[in-house]
Amino acid sequence: MSDESAVKLRRKAKGKRPTYFSDPDVDRLLSMLMALTGELSVTRDRLDTLERVAAAKGLFSGDDIESYELDQAALEARGKRHETLFGEVTRVITSALEDLEQAPSEDYQAVVSLVEDDDKVAPR
Amino acid sequence: MAASFVEQQPHDALPKTNHDELARQHFVRSFKQHLVSAVHPGLKVAYEKRAKVEFVAEHQREPENISEVGKVMRKDPHYQAWSCLLRTSQEMMWSSAQIPVQRSLANLAESAQHHTNDHGSLSLDPSLVIPAYHRAVDIHCQPGGYHTEYIPSDVAQGAIYDRGVYIYAMGQMGRDNADMGDSTVAWLKQEHPDFEPTKILDMGCAVGHSTLPYAESFPNAEVHAIDVAAPMLRHAHARARAKGLPVHFAQQNAETTNYADNSFDLVVSHILLHETSSKAIKNIIKECHRVLKPGGLMLHVETPPYEGMAPFETFLFDWDSENNNEPFWRKSHTLDLDELARQGGFTEHAPLQLMVPSAFQETQRTLTFQGGDFGGGGVWFVYGCQK
Repeated sequence: MSDESAVKLRRKAKGKRPTYFSDPDVDRLLSMLMALTGELSVTRDRLDTLERVAAAKGLFSGDDIESYELDQAALEARGKRHETLFGEVTRVITSALEDLEQAPSEDYQAVVSLVEDDDKVAPR
Repeated sequence: MAASFVEQQPHDALPKTNHDELARQHFVRSFKQHLVSAVHPGLKVAYEKRAKVEFVAEHQREPENISEVGKVMRKDPHYQAWSCLLRTSQEMMWSSAQIPVQRSLANLAESAQHHTNDHGSLSLDPSLVIPAYHRAVDIHCQPGGYHTEYIPSDVAQGAIYDRGVYIYAMGQMGRDNADMGDSTVAWLKQEHPDFEPTKILDMGCAVGHSTLPYAESFPNAEVHAIDVAAPMLRHAHARARAKGLPVHFAQQNAETTNYADNSFDLVVSHILLHETSSKAIKNIIKECHRVLKPGGLMLHVETPPYEGMAPFETFLFDWDSENNNEPFWRKSHTLDLDELARQGGFTEHAPLQLMVPSAFQETQRTLTFQGGDFGGGGVWFVYGCQK
């Protein structure tokens, strides 16, 4: 929570949180998805307010937005932004393919041993 | 269907919300509305077409109680999704109400102490022991419950509850969340037009949503209201003063109040009994009897008992008991209420158990209660007795 006060309210109700799906991670994902949907709705409401305030002040109206035509440069700039967005959102899926295409990552524990033990004298 | 998107009646004790904080609360309200109107109806379909079919195939008969319905419904994907979404909506509701309160808590607590009028009173008892049935889990999943205090003279839990209940009810309990009090008062005025109480007690008043209708409708009566939670009472007092209504709020346990014997004409509570315990509910009825004048009236507003409900409907109605921190919900809905009244000393008159229509005209009278939408039934169950 963004806050101007130093008080931190408890965020979890006392009592075990029930889960409903066979895998509790699905419960957690669905809750996060709804929180994300909520934040999307907040943003959309803010845009709606923006349009209404602009119309009320005589700056531009919702119709101006509906009839706005994208020129080529704008189309391309948006396309680039979408690409970045998808890249970020699907990163965990697409990046995993790199391991398939290239050499698989080293076993992580082997790397830990490598950096932890590289000062040890090799046995003769 | 819920009432149209009418906003809560603003008052000085509520925090000011900024644009996005309000939008977040509106989302939760719409989310809940969607669950009620678009997701909840699918539960019946899932039961009839899938869960019940499975049960019948195995047992050659239909489920006969909530335990048998639960056995097959808990495995049903639609029930799982609905439950997860409903629980999530409840958590998001509290969160959306917490955000503006946390941001402005110091100011809220400060301004609650300063008023432009001196209506009513507030009497707190820091030595009061918060009962175990109240402390064990946070009721309705409100983080911190009713009683947690973060700063001196704290009002956080009350301010959060005030707003949270409005979002919960989706406006169906009126702009002041007053429907339970309003409906009971309307019933009293209709059934007992000559009843002129001079002293009224509201037990488990929280922020006084249901208390103020009595102060409004019986202006000649002295209205008292008690709760165990100090932050609720501070907010309740500030709210009542903001609305210019005189109520005497006191931090007391309804099981053992400090009021004199035979001192009230009317003792009421609103959705208090199901938040207590087997022992406490008996104590509360006894206490009602003790403080009532002979001929006085006890009225407890609740949701209706399970008796007579079909197993599937009962299973859904029971959802809160295991999923919304309502540990006494199930037991309290299956008690022998007539016997409870007799044990409490109400032996002169027959106990009342009746359905009272909602006073809030915009409410659609669905006459059903469902998890996540207890304000939408259009009727309240009233249990009581004359002393």
